[in-house]
Amino acid sequence: MADASTVAELVNISVDGRPVEVPPGTLVWDACEKAGIFVPVYCAHKKLEPVAVCRMCLVEVEGLPKLQPACATRVAPGMVVRTQTEQVRKFRDGNLEFLLLNHPLDCPVCDRGGECDLQDFTQRYGPGRARSSITEKVHFDKAVKLSDKIMLDQERCILCWRCVRYYEEITGEREIVLQERGVHTVVDSFERQPLQSQFQGNLPEICPVGALTHRQYRFRARPWDLRRTASVCSHCSYGCNIFVDAREEQIARYASNDNPEVDDSWLCDQGRYGFPELNRPERVINPEARVGGLRQAVSYQDAVARAAGALLRVRGDHGGTSVGVLGSPRMTNEEAFVLQWLAREVIATPHVDHRYEPLEGISPEQFRLGIAELEGCDAVVVIGDRPERLSPVLTLRLYKVANKLGRQILRVPETFSAAQVVKQLPAAGRIGIVAAQADRAAAMGLRAKAGSAGREAAVLTITEAVNSRGCQDLGLLPNVGPGYRSLEHSGLFGRQLLEAAVAGQIKALLVVGDGADFEAEGLFHEALAKVDVAVVVTAWQGVASRAATVLLPGRTIAEKAGTVTNTEGRVQRVRTAVEPKFTFPSDLRILGDLAAGLGSDLGVQALAAPVFELLAAAVPAYRGCQAGLRAHWEPGS
Amino acid sequence: MDDEKVLTRHLGAPGLTTVGGYEKVGGYQGLRKAIQMGPEAIVAEVKASGLRGRGGAAFPTGTKWGFLPKDVFPRYLCVNADESEPGCFKDRVLMEEFPHQLLEGVLIAAYALQVTHAFIYIRGEYRFQRELLERAAKEAYRAGYAGKGVLGTKWDCELIVHGGAGAYICGEETALLNSLEGRRGQPRLKPPFPAVKGLYGQPTVVNNVETLSNLPYIVTEGGARYAALGTEASPGTRLFCVSGHVERPGTFEVPMGKTTFRDLLELAGGVWRGRQFKAMQPGGGSMQVLGPQHLDVPLDFKAVAEAGSSLGAGALVVMDDSTCLVDVASRLVDFYRHESCGKCVPCREGTYFESELMHRLEAGIASRAELAELSDICANMEGRCFCPLGDTATWFVMSALRMFPEEFESHCGAGRCPVRAGSEVAA
Amino acid sequence: MVEADHTDALNPATLARIRQMRDLYPSPRSAVLPALWAIQDELAYLPAWSLEVVATELGLLAGDVEAVSSFYSMYFNHQPGRHQIQVCRNVSCGLRGSDELLRHLENWLGVEDGGTTTDGAFTLEGTVECLGACGGAPMMQVDRFSYENLNPERAEEVLTKIRNSEPRDLD
Repeated sequence: MADASTVAELVNISVDGRPVEVPPGTLVWDACEKAGIFVPVYCAHKKLEPVAVCRMCLVEVEGLPKLQPACATRVAPGMVVRTQTEQVRKFRDGNLEFLLLNHPLDCPVCDRGGECDLQDFTQRYGPGRARSSITEKVHFDKAVKLSDKIMLDQERCILCWRCVRYYEEITGEREIVLQERGVHTVVDSFERQPLQSQFQGNLPEICPVGALTHRQYRFRARPWDLRRTASVCSHCSYGCNIFVDAREEQIARYASNDNPEVDDSWLCDQGRYGFPELNRPERVINPEARVGGLRQAVSYQDAVARAAGALLRVRGDHGGTSVGVLGSPRMTNEEAFVLQWLAREVIATPHVDHRYEPLEGISPEQFRLGIAELEGCDAVVVIGDRPERLSPVLTLRLYKVANKLGRQILRVPETFSAAQVVKQLPAAGRIGIVAAQADRAAAMGLRAKAGSAGREAAVLTITEAVNSRGCQDLGLLPNVGPGYRSLEHSGLFGRQLLEAAVAGQIKALLVVGDGADFEAEGLFHEALAKVDVAVVVTAWQGVASRAATVLLPGRTIAEKAGTVTNTEGRVQRVRTAVEPKFTFPSDLRILGDLAAGLGSDLGVQALAAPVFELLAAAVPAYRGCQAGLRAHWEPGS
Repeated sequence: MDDEKVLTRHLGAPGLTTVGGYEKVGGYQGLRKAIQMGPEAIVAEVKASGLRGRGGAAFPTGTKWGFLPKDVFPRYLCVNADESEPGCFKDRVLMEEFPHQLLEGVLIAAYALQVTHAFIYIRGEYRFQRELLERAAKEAYRAGYAGKGVLGTKWDCELIVHGGAGAYICGEETALLNSLEGRRGQPRLKPPFPAVKGLYGQPTVVNNVETLSNLPYIVTEGGARYAALGTEASPGTRLFCVSGHVERPGTFEVPMGKTTFRDLLELAGGVWRGRQFKAMQPGGGSMQVLGPQHLDVPLDFKAVAEAGSSLGAGALVVMDDSTCLVDVASRLVDFYRHESCGKCVPCREGTYFESELMHRLEAGIASRAELAELSDICANMEGRCFCPLGDTATWFVMSALRMFPEEFESHCGAGRCPVRAGSEVAA
Repeated sequence: MVEADHTDALNPATLARIRQMRDLYPSPRSAVLPALWAIQDELAYLPAWSLEVVATELGLLAGDVEAVSSFYSMYFNHQPGRHQIQVCRNVSCGLRGSDELLRHLENWLGVEDGGTTTDGAFTLEGTVECLGACGGAPMMQVDRFSYENLNPERAEEVLTKIRNSEPRDLD
């Protein structure tokens, strides 16, 4: 946020004759980018401090005798920069010749081939010939297993230091260092001790060549065989932006897709390397139904009709409240909204939830503080280690706040004295409080205490799953409606609902989503066995799919389109990155078709965009937020 | 020559390496006087002396001191005793023969700059000299010239002798600071300059051993008198190290500007073995070669620059007519390859490329195309590297190639070094 | 991670020197080079565990220390000979016969540049920086002392004297 004191006069410079206006202190490299002029770099990286070691970005600056590194030179008023002169061209050519001198010729078996900056710049600016008689290369170690995740090839390394600086500036762990000197310089870990960091996966991504590669992706694909889709990591509720790279309808890898407000371009290893979960073969691929006591494959239309018929029958015999509806925190906002509507308005049951354990006393004040807003706090209190265990990337943001911005981070145990904590805070300024959602009461208590001691405090609670926040916002809970509206009659929470089913009070269950929160619970098993009707929409074979009286194939998060809301309330798009092995309708369409079978009309097409309009009408905080904005909740409560 | 000496004026006095011996020739009177003068007057005197840095860059010392931001403390003084320029051994002489003169100079500067910690960064290979300085520093503490309350004032000054461990690059001032901070001795990105953000991120001055050894004289005798020893453009005296093919190699203190290379050569007994003068490298291993036509150039910053070289760190390497310039160049390039810190691409890879080509050339197996390649590589290094090391790795080669093109060309495809082969026959 | 405590593998005087250095500087990290020297003075080289000791004493990671120790050419990561011979071959020495001197010593000692004699007495190094004794070229430095204006015979004499002055084991 730019307050009046930080707004300064812009500086005018010209790059290759194009005028460009930038704030004072801007790097020439950034000014070139703003002018639409590409300057090649190896060592420079948007998230790291400049070091100017690769020299690839040398450009002419009028009035200076030597070429200047664009990555480390700051603009001055009236500066005239030239990036296309003969001098620059000749040096780029020569510098690439230097880099290739000791570079191995193993492009054919290098995982980086096709997306390697050394290949790309050589093609664009390089010599195009090997003129030298010096063919002897300095040799180093290849295929060094730095950990179970990372492979190092010291010969391919061009010593840009990005990995070393990443470990120094971003994580502070310093697991990779420079060793030796001159032409013998290498990057390595101390005595080859395996890397321990939970953020190693970022290393291959910032490496401009094939020196650091993912072992998971080793020899798996060529980049030109991959289809890239922008989406959101489903590992946790943090909502890191990713690219899903898929090959032959299987996810081949995740890559980061920098969102400075959320991930700041870093992913955790659990998230990055967790996708094989979504590639598992144990899928539900056909609609099935129990016909005369035996489960058999049926047509989609037949399955929907049977499901609707069964639910209608139970409602007719025992009333709507005899039906329980269970969703999942990994469903999209659109699905969650339609599912709660289906329960409350169509089936007429209050018993709807998306989780096993009860959740009470929630409000938007518990995520008033945004992730990036942590950087604007003068001090941050972190309650327990649960927030960072739930969302590891939060650790990197906190490190930035402490290390780069020099703010106070106060880590307190889960039980603490608010009065004692307040005493340790700065006398004035903005206080951030970060807690797991389970510790929301403690966090809100501290906020109140800090408030009465004259500090401005805001809270960020970390929820559990990719769309836990969306499910809560949209009322996929028995005790609050969409937009945290209070209800006249609360329904049963997930576990109570299953207990009621075992006790015979709930006769039918509609289970939608991956059911991961329930699958491990014995009670879920018992309840499914007990109820007369179990309509299950799921992607995965498991307890629910086996017990279903009607089974419909669902999609994984990688196979669907819609929005999810991260822990700070940011509404972000997930996109279809891979197609399922079947052609049946999406989960959202299934819900719409079920509603139709039950005699109700959603009013719009069961597609993500129109359904979002529908939910935004019901929950105004979501209006206009579908492209990555935080829902704007009115202050209060 | 019987010109007045500054640095070597006490040469021959007994016990100079002890406090007592040094005091007998008036040692530490400069420090006493400096403390009475006060910091501003000392700086003014140094400015009046026209003293310029003796480490190679020849930046005016008083001006350099003036870059320290006012009222930012702590600030630090670092003494660059990392003498490692090929052909230079004057700082070694100053430390071995006149250690207290150096310490007095350091303390005067420290007082002028109001620092409380002065570090002497001495190269690792000078282990003996380091221990000598450590002993001298201990004596200075005992005598009350260093430590808590120097000479009864409220000013404290710690003298810390810090040994390097074998890295030429640490002579570059920001690399020196990194090394002193316990890091890899690699140069830092500038700006910020050390005067603003140096050691531990605080304002820092880095001065050479010879530079500071002049201070006791300047303070006691006055800046104007010092300046007058040389010429207006090149004030004072300077130590020159003459080595190579001369009869009496050694270190000579001569007035700046008034002395020529020929004078220096004569001081060193002339070219050895009755041979002919072929070439010389002034300034140290980094600098450009000069020929017989330059012998009468005075030791003046501007005159030497106009001749195409530099006085650098005060060396003069003389080569007789049996010398193969390709061999000398190859030797120097090997040195730079060994000492490149590896930070930037053109220096790290360029010195490797250059040295491999030079080996082929010296062995007589390189082609003429490779000779052209050599020039091209040097052009891609000079002015493109992170710090001056990479630039200087090209200067001797390029200047020798310009001055002795036939000698380089005669190596191409000759199958052996034609110069050395010829001199073997002659011998 | 449980780390082995190696501090007791060092002479207490060495450890004391490291701690004294740590407290001498405004920042403990500045004591890295002096600490490594202290260890090399005791052990003649820097085994990996000793880097961990330095790291622990100065509040660093072992990798930080290795990054530094491997940068400087005078630290050994393996056991060298009891005496280190450095033959300067830079310009001034080169002009006055240092190549011949090195070649002679290689033959005489039976080792190549960088090698250690079989009796462990000498490590011969001919790839070193200019040793700052150009006035006495050609020269060699043995441990901390310079020997100048050498010819092969004089160099042999110097080294023989050093070898003979070593205390001998009784057979």
